[in-house]
Amino acid sequence: MAALLEVNHVSKQFGKDTKALKDVHFSVAEGEFVSIIGPSGAGKSTLLRCINRMVDATSGEIIFDNRNVLDLKKKELKTIRTKIGMVFQHYNLVNRLSVIENALHGKLGNKSALAGVLGLYSIDEKEEAMKILNALGLADLIYKRADQLSGGQKQRVGIARALLQNPRMLLCDEPIASLDPGSAKVIMDHLKNISTNWGITILVNLHQVDVALKYSDRIIGINNGQVVYNGSPKNLTKDDIQLIYGSEAEDLIFDVGGIHAS
Amino acid sequence: MEANEQMTNVSSATDPFLKPYPDKRLKSRAWNKSLVVMRTTLLLLTVLTVYAFVSFDYKEVDFKEAALGTLTNIKVMFLEPHLKHFTFLQAVHQVFVTLGLAFLTTLFGGLIAVLLGLLAAENLSSRRVSLLIKGLVSFIRAVPTVLWVLIFAVAAGLGSVAAVIGMTFHSVSYLVKAYSESFEELDRGAIEALQASGANWWQIVFQAVIPSSLTYMISWTFLRFEINFAVAVAMGAAAGAGGIGFDMFMASNFYLDIREIGAITYFILILAILLEVFGAGLKKKLKVNG
Ligand SMILES: Nc1ncnc2c1ncn2[C@@H]1O[C@H](COP(=O)(O)OP(=O)(O)OP(=O)(O)O)[C@@H](O)[C@H]1O
Ligand SMILES: [Mg+2]
Repeated sequence: MAALLEVNHVSKQFGKDTKALKDVHFSVAEGEFVSIIGPSGAGKSTLLRCINRMVDATSGEIIFDNRNVLDLKKKELKTIRTKIGMVFQHYNLVNRLSVIENALHGKLGNKSALAGVLGLYSIDEKEEAMKILNALGLADLIYKRADQLSGGQKQRVGIARALLQNPRMLLCDEPIASLDPGSAKVIMDHLKNISTNWGITILVNLHQVDVALKYSDRIIGINNGQVVYNGSPKNLTKDDIQLIYGSEAEDLIFDVGGIHAS
Repeated sequence: MEANEQMTNVSSATDPFLKPYPDKRLKSRAWNKSLVVMRTTLLLLTVLTVYAFVSFDYKEVDFKEAALGTLTNIKVMFLEPHLKHFTFLQAVHQVFVTLGLAFLTTLFGGLIAVLLGLLAAENLSSRRVSLLIKGLVSFIRAVPTVLWVLIFAVAAGLGSVAAVIGMTFHSVSYLVKAYSESFEELDRGAIEALQASGANWWQIVFQAVIPSSLTYMISWTFLRFEINFAVAVAMGAAAGAGGIGFDMFMASNFYLDIREIGAITYFILILAILLEVFGAGLKKKLKVNG
């Protein structure tokens, strides 16, 4: 399968001496479900944000859909961003608006400035929104205000918003880090479903190794800004975990052992 | 009381064994610089006030007579009000002229302030532009509205035009501060999410920023409207801007009709109460929906 995303020798430096990413190199095929794991501060968020240029990489190349994202002009960047949905740990919804209004925000990038400003959406767009909200189990909540939802529901609205962009890829920055295990499972199941049935490529930052192992086609382990593991979850060994998380990962190693055993 | 606490504080500081745990309650009361400055200022002001009253020259004034005279005036003003130089309907009309002045200046001010407020909000604009606008409006705000009206009167002549421009000017500066602060309160995340989806600045402003700040904006704007009503009354008198304020000026300075002043005062009072009631209702409604 052709690579949808290629990250070639990307480095990112904040200020004088914070090297958040060091020569990061990997590629992702269309439709793949890839998890990025690594300790806090490893550079996972920075990596995702470099891909849609919420942060500008210092050097390297990021090829998405055969275009180098780092070369794009403002206008082209906006167009490419509409093809990349983003899902956040803290959902980042507009609290005072309803579920459907938040979901329809995914359409803004494809609209004329004026129609977007006035919030004018076509019948087709609204029906599409209904279809997606329905698929995410939010059909009964469409007129509820975003701040009245539970965390899990908010995250599903966040996913609906990203899906309404008709994206080719979703970047999910710790989508389940603020959720209880039940809601987290619902979200992960939805993401997996989106990847297998809709063919959308998914790149997800995770803190939970067990979740990453269970859902991913591939795992990329990052430590201190460098890719230290890139491969199938089946081949992830204790040593690899130790490499990713450093020497203080005894508990994690124990967990992984349990999962592989079962 | 306080001196006592200070004493114990001092002794406990010198003898740590007397009080093994530092007492947080006492610590929060300890003297600091701002407290000292504030108390000194208050004390100074009190002394000055007392001194001023004692040192006035009262030779010519008969206190009893003056007090009685004032009371009689107030009694006549408020218990025997009448309208002589214009009719009730005319008075109502004039009240609406004043209201109109307040409304117009608040509307103009609000519209301009939304734009400037967006540019002044640090999360939506560049730091330089934000600082520039904020500095400018705080300067404008520091000068009272009346002065701005008089300044514009130099070019436009005393009258309603100068009043509209001057009052709009000050309303803008007031509302830019209020609006930009409520824009800045919006969490970065929602803006970021829309940026990441390819939305442009105007779309983000109208789809995320303004919906989130709308309740604040409405209550600040209404508050400014109340202020502008009071200013419009004063401008009617001071700048010849017309309306009920001008009638009051005529009644007091030209006809010397104390009863008419009473009547006009009632008009203004009733309107102020109506505005207050309406404002309270509005806030309640916003709270329910907001
Ligand atoms: N805007 C920024 N300015 C300066 N330094 C930053 C900025 N963003 C991130 N960093 C630094 O870059 C490094 C990587 O941060 P990043 O947020 O990507 O880590 P992370 O792997 O996502 O961590 P976490 O799991 O805690 O979210 C950290 O050292 C962080 O301090
Ligand atoms: Mg992160």
